[in-house]
Amino acid sequence: MKPAPQLLVLTIGQGLAVGLVLSLLYLSARGLLTPALVWPLLLAALVTAAIGGVASFFHMHQFSAARYILRRLKTSWLSREALTTGLFGGALFLLALLTYLVHPNLNSDSYVIAVAIVAFLAVLALFVTAMLYATIPAMLSWHSPITVLNFIMLALLGGNSWALALASAERVSHAGLAATELVLLVLAFIVKGLQWHVFRQAHGRVNPATGFGLPFAPYRLQDTGTTKPPYRTQTQIYPPLHPHRRGQVKVVMGVLLGVIPAVLAIVWMTTGRVVYPVISAIVLTVGLMVERWLFFADATHSSRVFFDDLAQVPSRVATPLASRMTRAREQ
Amino acid sequence: MQLTIITDLNKCVGCKSCQVSCKEHNTSGVFGPVPDENPYQDPDGMWWNRIVTMESGEYPNTQVMYLPKACMHCYDAPCVPVCPTGASYKREDNGVVLIDYQSCIGCQLCMWACPYGVREFDETEGVVKKCTLCIDRIEDETLPDEERQPACVQSCPTHARTFGDLDDPTSEVAQLVSQRQGFGLMPELGARPAIHYLPRRPVPSPVSAGEIDALVEEKY
Repeated sequence: MKPAPQLLVLTIGQGLAVGLVLSLLYLSARGLLTPALVWPLLLAALVTAAIGGVASFFHMHQFSAARYILRRLKTSWLSREALTTGLFGGALFLLALLTYLVHPNLNSDSYVIAVAIVAFLAVLALFVTAMLYATIPAMLSWHSPITVLNFIMLALLGGNSWALALASAERVSHAGLAATELVLLVLAFIVKGLQWHVFRQAHGRVNPATGFGLPFAPYRLQDTGTTKPPYRTQTQIYPPLHPHRRGQVKVVMGVLLGVIPAVLAIVWMTTGRVVYPVISAIVLTVGLMVERWLFFADATHSSRVFFDDLAQVPSRVATPLASRMTRAREQ
Repeated sequence: MQLTIITDLNKCVGCKSCQVSCKEHNTSGVFGPVPDENPYQDPDGMWWNRIVTMESGEYPNTQVMYLPKACMHCYDAPCVPVCPTGASYKREDNGVVLIDYQSCIGCQLCMWACPYGVREFDETEGVVKKCTLCIDRIEDETLPDEERQPACVQSCPTHARTFGDLDDPTSEVAQLVSQRQGFGLMPELGARPAIHYLPRRPVPSPVSAGEIDALVEEKY
C-alpha cells in the first residue's frame, strides 16, 4: 500500500516513546535513575509521543469529524488506538509534571509504580496500534501475529538505543543498556526475517482463480479499469517493488538498523566515548524509517489480483496437449 | 432484504457503458461526488465501477473476460466494523453499504479492509467514497418503476446485469444465482459479497477431427 509519510512518523514516534518509557522503567526498577538522566528521558519520550500525535492529526483528512472517533470502540482498532494512545500521552505528561513539581525520590517504590503504570499504558497503546494492522484479513502481508511482534521489538530497540545515547551523554554509564541493545538487535532481526517470510507468502497468495473465477491459467491483465500507477485514489495499492529494488532497500535497512548500531554498541562498550551511542541512535532511527517505508510499500493487498498479471508460467494442461499434438503432426 | 446486482460474464462485452453511466449519474468534475483532477485529458480519476479486462489460458485455449468491479455490498462487510467514526455502515432494511461523508475522517482504514479494492479516496473532500448502488435512484418514488435501478444496470446494452433482492428466493437474481452457479469473488476472505457473477460457459476448443484421431491413435 501507499506509504503515507504521516503513518511512518506516527508509528515510529509512538514506538520510540513507548521504548523510552520502558527504558525509564528498567532504569528506575534497577535503581539507576538519576535526576540528570530522568529529564532527558522524559522529554525525549514526550517529544516523540507529541510528534506521533501531531502526525496522527495530519493523517485525518477531515478534522470536523474527529469528534466521532470513539464511536466504534467495540469493533474498531482505530477507535481503540485513539483512546489508548491518548491515555498514554496524558499519563506520560502527568508523570513529567509530577517529576517537575514534586521532585520525588526517583528510585523509590512509589515512583517505580508510577512509571510502571505509564509503561503499562504505553505497551497497551503499542499493542493496539499493532493489532490495527494485524487484524485486517485483506492486507495479506500484515494479517499475522508477526506484525505485532515486529512493532514491539522495533519499539524496544529504538527506545533502548535513545536511552543509551542519553545515558552516555549525561555521563550515566550503564553497560546493561548496551548489552540489551545487542540482544534486541538479534531478536529484532529474527522477527524481521519471519516477517519477510510472511510477506513472500502473501505475495504468492494473490490468486486470479478466486479473484476472477476463470478456469484456465495463466492470466494476463489487459486493462486494470481506467487506472494506472501510482493509483492516486486507490491507496491500498502501490506499484509493486522490483525484486532488485526490494533487495537494495533490505540491505540499506539491515546496515542502518543492524550492522552500524551493533558495531557502535560494541565500540562504546570498549571505549566509553559518548559520540558512539548518539550516532548509533540517529542511524537506527533512520533505519526505522526505511523499515517502516518497506513495511507499507511492500505490503500485498488482496485486491492486487486486479492489478497484476499471473507469473508467466506454462499451463499445466495446455502445454502437454500442445506438445503431444505437435508430435502427432510430425509423425 | 439484500439488494444486489448479478452480472452474466457470458453477456458482458466490456463496452464500459456501465462504468461511464455510473460516473455520469454520480456527477463528474472536480467538485462532484466522483471527482477527476483532469477530466478531459487524463482518465485516471475516481471511478466507482471499473471494468477489469483479463485474458486467460494459452493459445489456442484462450479467452478474454471483462469483470465489472464495484462495491460488493457484502453481508459481512469488513469495511464497516473497522471504521472508527461509524461513517461506514450497512443499511438494515436493504443491505446496501453506505458512507456518511459528514462523519468520515478520511483515515482510509476501510480501503485497506475492503478485500476488493473498490473504495476510493477523494483528495478534494478528504473522504472515502464508493458505489451506493444508486440509492438515490432506487429510493426515488417519483421515478417510474423501470427506472428505479442502478445506472449501470439500466445502461447495459447486452442486459448482462440484473438487479434485485438476493434474500428473496423467488426473485430473478436469487434464481439466477441458484440455477447458474453464481459465484462471489474471493470467498476465502470471508466477506460474503452480495454481488454475484454468473460463470463463463466453456468454449469449445478449436481442435480438428484429424488431430483428435491422431491423439486417439497415439493413446490407444
